Amino acid sequence: MSRTPEEIVRASLEKHGSGREAVMEILTDVNRELGCIPEEAIIATASAVGVSNAEIYSVVSFYSFFSIKPRGRHIVRLCSTISCVMSGSAEVLEAVRDDLGIREGETTSDGRITLETTSCIGLCDQAPAMLVNDEPHTRLTPETARAIIAGLE
Amino acid sequence: MAAGKRLLLGDDQPSIGEALIKAMDMSPADVVFEVRESDIRGRGGAGFPTGIKWNLAGAASGDHKMVICNADEGEPGTFKDRVLIEKMAWKLLEGMTIAGYAIGSSHGIIYLRAEYPYLVPILEKARQDLISQGLLGDDIQGRGFSFNIEIRSGAGAYVCGEETSLIESLEGKRGEPRNKPPFPVNSGYLARPTVVNNVETFAAVPHILLGGAEWYQGLGRDDCSGTKLFSISGDVENPGVYELPMGAALRELLELSGAKDIAAVQVGGASGSTVTPDELDKPMSFSALPPGGSVVVFNSSRDMLDVLENFMEFFVHESCGQCTPCREGNRRLLDIIRSIRAGEIASRDDLKPFFLLADVMKAGSKCGLGQTSPNCFVDIITKFIAFPGDKEGA
Ligand SMILES: Cc1cc2nc3c(=O)[nH]c(=O)nc-3n(C[C@H](O)[C@H](O)[C@H](O)COP(=O)(O)O)c2cc1C
Ligand code: SF4
Repeated sequence: MSRTPEEIVRASLEKHGSGREAVMEILTDVNRELGCIPEEAIIATASAVGVSNAEIYSVVSFYSFFSIKPRGRHIVRLCSTISCVMSGSAEVLEAVRDDLGIREGETTSDGRITLETTSCIGLCDQAPAMLVNDEPHTRLTPETARAIIAGLE
Repeated sequence: MAAGKRLLLGDDQPSIGEALIKAMDMSPADVVFEVRESDIRGRGGAGFPTGIKWNLAGAASGDHKMVICNADEGEPGTFKDRVLIEKMAWKLLEGMTIAGYAIGSSHGIIYLRAEYPYLVPILEKARQDLISQGLLGDDIQGRGFSFNIEIRSGAGAYVCGEETSLIESLEGKRGEPRNKPPFPVNSGYLARPTVVNNVETFAAVPHILLGGAEWYQGLGRDDCSGTKLFSISGDVENPGVYELPMGAALRELLELSGAKDIAAVQVGGASGSTVTPDELDKPMSFSALPPGGSVVVFNSSRDMLDVLENFMEFFVHESCGQCTPCREGNRRLLDIIRSIRAGEIASRDDLKPFFLLADVMKAGSKCGLGQTSPNCFVDIITKFIAFPGDKEGA
């Protein structure tokens, strides 16, 4: 059984305290476990820290790694900044889009994968690069990217 | 080619803890003095003198002073801090601990960008190793000085590299830059006196302490001090991180990394400057070509309008939206870049209002993002783009 949003927030509060400065840690814990930050988690965080729901919502919406919308079990983030573009990230993106039948910002209908493009991820010396969840993958070609993605459960 | 001495990533490293123990044999004021005399300037881009920053924080009134390491490395083309952490995490932690001793702080935080989750275990291990060797934690080496370091993650926002935005983020808020003053050295994290330095700045500190200010100073070229890490990528044979004397000519770095058929070079990331092949002898120094950490090379097959569009898309996406010149200005610049691409702009003269907009953004934006994002527009349009109506030789 997976934990509910409220349970994750509660466990996170125990680790990080209920000060305002714990908010990023709590949201990160929720986002990591559920792939997104559902309304229940926003409400639980707001009441624990003592600020309005809107205030927490505005924090969530600020950061590109946080999502209100549910996402897939795996998040693929392909770099779209200059050094990766110059090394062929557009072709990699096209290949992945074709394979998955989705565009960036979308999730496959089976809930397996969310595809995103991202600003520079600091792997420009091994471009083109992407992050799959926490793992970096570098020197991609359309073929290697397809294979990596096919291997995700 | 004489690349000079490699310190930060050289093969010849001091033993772990040596610099910290030397620092603790000195008075905190002497440690600050040594850093100040070394003339090291911040390696995160802005180049503020580190010793002066530490002096201000040390002298500031307020309890629970903070030492924060900026590991948000988000400037396009920059990856030197990642490599430094992968290879020498201990040195960053030791530099922070020395800073803590110098300013009278017992608490450090590393703000690591969300894009580097795979560095967390490396930092965590370095931290545990130092604690088990009595070089971090409570009562370090029985000297009565305690210092702890927390590792915290960002969540994907370039602007959080700006130090006051980073502090807001650590406080659990949107990463919107603050008005300055007050400066972090007086009122930073939770209104405490706070030193924020870049990863590379902290990593240089043990070397300064061990070698002495004068020696470190002498490693730079001309009026520059110390060595500097450069991340180079794009059209080069051997992309990677290179360590050169601060103030070395751009050409040296390009030769070392095997750049060929150079048509343009972006120095200092998207917010830096775009230089032509005529400018390669300029020194990478704060006064000539501020290097930040990033150098990207473009060969003659590249369309610089594509490059400009990519940079401007980056800024539109990353602007925090707090102030109008930056939020709206970057969008207008992106729109006009797309009009140029569509062939709708006949001559450079038609762009006058946009150069004026660039000036307004530089003067009227609240933080460095909006103040520097028009640089690439001005540089690339002026130096690299031809218009149908341009006069010959213009
Ligand atoms: C938009 C923006 C992004 C920045 N990003 C970074 C960064 O990723 N890393 C960094 O060290 N400094 C960054 N800075 C500079 C910081 O505000 C600050 O000057 C620096 O962390 C101070 O450390 P230093 O003196 O050791 O360089 C950024 C500044 C701006 C305006
Ligand atoms: S200049 Fe841009 S990023 Fe900086 S505070 Fe203003 S809107 Fe935000």
